[in-house]
Amino acid sequence: MDHSVMSVADTLPLPRASRRAAGRSAFWLIAPALVLIGVFLVLPYMNIVLMSLRPPAVGAPYGGGFTVANYAHALGDSYLLGVLADTLLLGFIVTPICLILGYPVAYQLARTRSRWGGLLYVLVLSPLLVGVVVRSFGWLILLSGNGVVNRLLLDLGWIHTGLQLMNNRVGVTIALVHVFLPFMILPLVGVIQSIDPSVESAARSLGASRLRTFLRVVLPLSWPGIQAGTVLVFVLTLSAYVTPVMLGGAQVKTMSVLVVQNLIDNFQWPAGAAQALVLTACGMAVVALYARLTRRLSKGLA
Amino acid sequence: MSAVLPASGLAATREGDSTLARPRSRRMTRLAIEGLRKDFGGSTAIHALDLATREGEFISLLGPSGCGKTTTLRCVAGFEFPDQGRVYIDGEDITALPPERRDIGMVFQNYALFPHLTVRRNLAFGLEMRGVPKEQMARRIDEVLAMVQLTALAERYPRQLSGGQQQRVALARALVIEPRLLLLDEPLANLDAVLREDMRVFIRELQQRVGITTLYVTHDQAEAMVMSDRVAVMLGGRLQQFDVPEAIYLRPRSVDVARFIGRSNLIEGRVHELLPPTGVRVRHAVQTALGMVEGEYDDALAPGRTVQIAIRPEAIHFDAGGPYQGAVKASYFLGSTVEHTVECAGGQTLLVQTAPGQRRAAGTQGALAFEAGHAWIIPS
Repeated sequence: MDHSVMSVADTLPLPRASRRAAGRSAFWLIAPALVLIGVFLVLPYMNIVLMSLRPPAVGAPYGGGFTVANYAHALGDSYLLGVLADTLLLGFIVTPICLILGYPVAYQLARTRSRWGGLLYVLVLSPLLVGVVVRSFGWLILLSGNGVVNRLLLDLGWIHTGLQLMNNRVGVTIALVHVFLPFMILPLVGVIQSIDPSVESAARSLGASRLRTFLRVVLPLSWPGIQAGTVLVFVLTLSAYVTPVMLGGAQVKTMSVLVVQNLIDNFQWPAGAAQALVLTACGMAVVALYARLTRRLSKGLA
Repeated sequence: MSAVLPASGLAATREGDSTLARPRSRRMTRLAIEGLRKDFGGSTAIHALDLATREGEFISLLGPSGCGKTTTLRCVAGFEFPDQGRVYIDGEDITALPPERRDIGMVFQNYALFPHLTVRRNLAFGLEMRGVPKEQMARRIDEVLAMVQLTALAERYPRQLSGGQQQRVALARALVIEPRLLLLDEPLANLDAVLREDMRVFIRELQQRVGITTLYVTHDQAEAMVMSDRVAVMLGGRLQQFDVPEAIYLRPRSVDVARFIGRSNLIEGRVHELLPPTGVRVRHAVQTALGMVEGEYDDALAPGRTVQIAIRPEAIHFDAGGPYQGAVKASYFLGSTVEHTVECAGGQTLLVQTAPGQRRAAGTQGALAFEAGHAWIIPS
């Protein structure tokens, strides 16, 4: 009843004046959020953009005048490009691993009717409950040359010399997957929960095996969650700092590590700003390309 | 919408395609359920259920929620596996087969259409799983879409359709695979009242045209009565009565069925004597608080046996010459009928339904008569 009344009211053309008034009050509702975004996001970003266009100076963050030399350096230096490629590669490695490890967990979490469901949620979120330094230190203990993992494998006789699990991409990848898994799982759980289980039953009754039901029905319907999760994890991996620093050693340099080095150690603010913006642009380009290539999958799901 | 169905593509193909030995869509199988039992964590959902259909029959499983009707359907579909008992289609034991190997079409209460696929791709899904060649697939989909009058909406997504249209897509998707059996799980429960009545007729006519053996789960008596060849009444996990709709309504086998289906007056009594037979059923004189009531039963019952007489409110009317005296306690105007609560001899209260013209005011006295042949005996 209510619903039909509402929809009739919605289709009636409102007088123009009252529509304008409605628009104005909506603006005031979002005004606080706009101020927040303006002060804490837009202004700092503009500051960084401005800084990246300044020449370096001694004794001050940057000198007067404008230059594109910082960008020319960031995009022309083979070492910097190598670090950028390594950073993107880390994103391309961590993201699919998170997806593959996270999907079954998310599916289970979404479909469970167990009273332990709440506990499962806590376990999934547990990486976020521990500070990033403590967590990375934990992995340090586990993965170091004489660490728990190597000792166990040696004692079991499965290996004869210690594995290099740290100060390389392996250690960073393991630790990043661990911490970013919740960001993959949570959006997936939400989307999978919204998939009607009887749709799966329908596919089975139409002759699809469990596997084909998953591939043809559940997976495509999970797409919005997969998209959200993968973009989140990818972006988070690109900007990760503490974990690469603690577990990557000298071997794994990511863009964030480099930027911080420039800002803090070298006091090269303009160069650091330009590198940060190059990383941001690359990340956005990858995400945009990804969204474009997978647009077909989103069809019918909106 | 459902009043007149256009000549279907199916019928046209049947005539034109003389090479086919038998019409493709005729799927007249026999479903047999034997000794089905299903427990859920200590409580029994179905107790030893036996049910057998004839070829092409439309069977309704009718019962209140929690009576085991949906569990029975899910055991037939393969979504649940029974703890005991077997399910056969045309003699083939399918009890242990997974749902995808049963070749059964199912329509779900919430339609369960694939939201990411168009109507046409929804219908194609089952055919793709069966490896049907492209051209044949297109032809079969077009045929079935014509049958459910959705040809114009083939390229729409489910969310762009109304509830009734989605319902017809769900039907079409189940039928296009030409299954051995059609299962429907309360398919009309989510539709509004007017559409529901149209869809009853629509589904029934479609089922008869395709000729497919159908099992239909519902809690709606009117739905079961209108659509079914036979109705299986389930109460508390047990099959109470399995018969044609008229028999379910007029000749309930148990007090529970009489109470569940429509509204009944139940009058306790004791068989007094057998009366001379007139038709196929045996007439008995039954001594009750009201006096002597003439009731019918299939077999002769021994005098002295305690029984219940079930009589529908519409089979009782006010008649000055009627044998039973009563006082009208209340009367309710319902539009097309009037219901009276009448207190009779021995504290027996009867529900009496009459036409609006025959309304009696509360407080008046009246004589009642039972329509001949409508008092049915339920042995206790």
